[in-house]
Amino acid sequence: MRIARRPIALAGASAALALSLAVFGTAPARADTVLNLVAADYGTGPSDTSQIYWQKIADAFHAANPTITVKVQTVNWNDFDTKIQTMVQNRQYPDITEGDYFSNYAQEGLLYKVSDVMTDPSNLMPAFTKLGSYGGAQYGMPFTTSSRTLFYNKKLFAQAGLAGPPKTWDELYTDAGKIEALGKIGYGMPLGPEEAQAETLLWFLGNGGGYQNASGQWVINSPQNVETLEFMTKLVKAGYTEPNPGTKNRAAILEQFAQGQIGIINGITALIPIIKTAGVLTDSDWGTAAITGKTGPLDTTLGVCDFMAAFKTDGSKQAAIKKFVDFALQDKYQIAFSEEYNLLPGTTSGAAAFSKVDPQLAPFMAALPKAVQYPNDPVWAQVKVQIQQIIGTAIGPDPKPVLDTIQETALKGS
Amino acid sequence: MSISAARDEPVVARTRRPPLKLAARLAPLVWVGPAMALIVVVVLWPVVIMIETAFQHISPDGFILGWAGWRNFVYLWEEPDLPGILIRTGIWVGTVVVGTMLISLALAQLFNQKFPGRRFARWALIAPWAASVVMTAIVFRWALDANNGIINVVLYDLGLLHRFNTDAADWLGTPGSAFAWMIVVAIYVSVPFSTYALLAGLQGIPSDVYEAARVDGAGAWRTYFKITLPLLRPAFIVALLINVMNVFNSFPIIWEMTRGGPGHQTSTTTTFMYQLKESYIGESAAMSVVNFGLVVVIVAIYLRATVWNREPV
Repeated sequence: MRIARRPIALAGASAALALSLAVFGTAPARADTVLNLVAADYGTGPSDTSQIYWQKIADAFHAANPTITVKVQTVNWNDFDTKIQTMVQNRQYPDITEGDYFSNYAQEGLLYKVSDVMTDPSNLMPAFTKLGSYGGAQYGMPFTTSSRTLFYNKKLFAQAGLAGPPKTWDELYTDAGKIEALGKIGYGMPLGPEEAQAETLLWFLGNGGGYQNASGQWVINSPQNVETLEFMTKLVKAGYTEPNPGTKNRAAILEQFAQGQIGIINGITALIPIIKTAGVLTDSDWGTAAITGKTGPLDTTLGVCDFMAAFKTDGSKQAAIKKFVDFALQDKYQIAFSEEYNLLPGTTSGAAAFSKVDPQLAPFMAALPKAVQYPNDPVWAQVKVQIQQIIGTAIGPDPKPVLDTIQETALKGS
Repeated sequence: MSISAARDEPVVARTRRPPLKLAARLAPLVWVGPAMALIVVVVLWPVVIMIETAFQHISPDGFILGWAGWRNFVYLWEEPDLPGILIRTGIWVGTVVVGTMLISLALAQLFNQKFPGRRFARWALIAPWAASVVMTAIVFRWALDANNGIINVVLYDLGLLHRFNTDAADWLGTPGSAFAWMIVVAIYVSVPFSTYALLAGLQGIPSDVYEAARVDGAGAWRTYFKITLPLLRPAFIVALLINVMNVFNSFPIIWEMTRGGPGHQTSTTTTFMYQLKESYIGESAAMSVVNFGLVVVIVAIYLRATVWNREPV
């Protein structure tokens, strides 16, 4: 019996082997290439989630390329960076991402160059080439862009007897005070973790400061920046902002502006659909203006760009990724995205086509080429995280130590 | 013959029996083995990896760049927020556990009495335990919202709050009040378990002990302190230890309500460790090692305390 068992087992094993060989042997020829796409969700709920947008593209793409399947996963905007980072830390690379792009992934050799995964890279908006580049090569493909601008509630301004939007910090202070007297929030200052780096930079720009100087050196704790935070503190201490700005996120502040609770904020085009959904303010109840500077309105603003990026993984999917990137960046999809979320296109041809569709956003698009951008240094990833976490604590008697800490992080490197 | 047989026997025994003995000795391993393997893979191995990581220089994206020596610990020690975080962790564990145990003692006593609707009340107590802690924390975060949180609306209607969107309404905006609220929520979610553990202990106390006490003329307080509490000690110590561990490692309440903010002013070592992970994996692992050390110390103290306590009983 014992002896007899072995051949049976062997026969069984070889049969199983043959079977598995048969299965695995034919599999590669028939199986679809699967592309994992992880995208940030720009929507405010189930009805306008970006999952719908991407799934439509994925389905159309699959219909045109039956051998390639795109699996779409969208991640809440607040968690996107951490999600991608965790995937990278665990070596579970996505194939394509759309959202924030970090040059550290390019530095680590994880990304395809744009020229490897796109037929016509020259169609990408040139204003953001530098931001999406590392070491002279471009890795990030501008997908959607926006520029910041000042939004103000005309209704509240009229009630407070104010003629127009503030031009200088002093005017902003006075105006915010008058709106506060109406029982509303004068100025909405979102310094909470979600997007503090944007609000902070807009204020720094107003005083000729910034995160880096013209030659790319970190100047986070410069005297201008300290002075800027001192003014912001003055505004907060007077009670003209929402309480404790360091704990308030942009999404909540935009929502409150849309509800008519706030007089002035530094907003984005994406605020427009939020205002429309809220249904409290009519189109004539709000207006936009240039960002307020210390001595006058800024002739520039913060330009923000979200990128598509392609991870190399095992290197076998390059052709499929290229097909999908070309497909997804068609003008019609760029326009559809811009219309859905009131953002601006990331491709030159998309922008040209979109300005004919929606002239209301043309001035924002005109501002993009000269817009100030975030640093493209790989350490920016850490600097940004730290600004988001602690910049709110710089609102206080002495902002300098907080800025010193952030400056140290920038200089320490990754 | 007999001599040679006697001589031969040990030789045979030596060659044959030891394997049998060994097999017999190893037999329990078949039963214990899987559990031991599980402990090694799920508990010990991660500890080894954690300690190894604490001494490595790792890029934010998980690439090992070499050994760091004690540098991660030095960076951790130089974090300006660390002393505050350590003190806060102590306060957090202390107040939440003490608060939980005191309330649970009272509640367990109440639920041990017969009263109409007791069954319903006991079921109701399970709710905060059964609900996801993340969910509970989010509910409280919105209830405390400075603009329109339900708690603020109630306070406003009662005339206790004069205006929304002020410091007074912004419970989670300032470290002090935010931390106090988080302690309340932590107690709220810890009470059900402790109450049930103590209730089980109370039900295990034989009624003849109480009868004897009554015959001897002991009053209610005296009975409680001299009979109930000492006999409740095993259940109490188990509940206490589990609570200390749970509260020390508590992440979702703090994360959902304040994310440790503003700055790190409502962080404990557990949430701080998570935040470090985003930028400095090695330093985060160093924080984990410190946390692990603290837990080991707490467990050691309690194991000693339980032994010391049981001996006189």
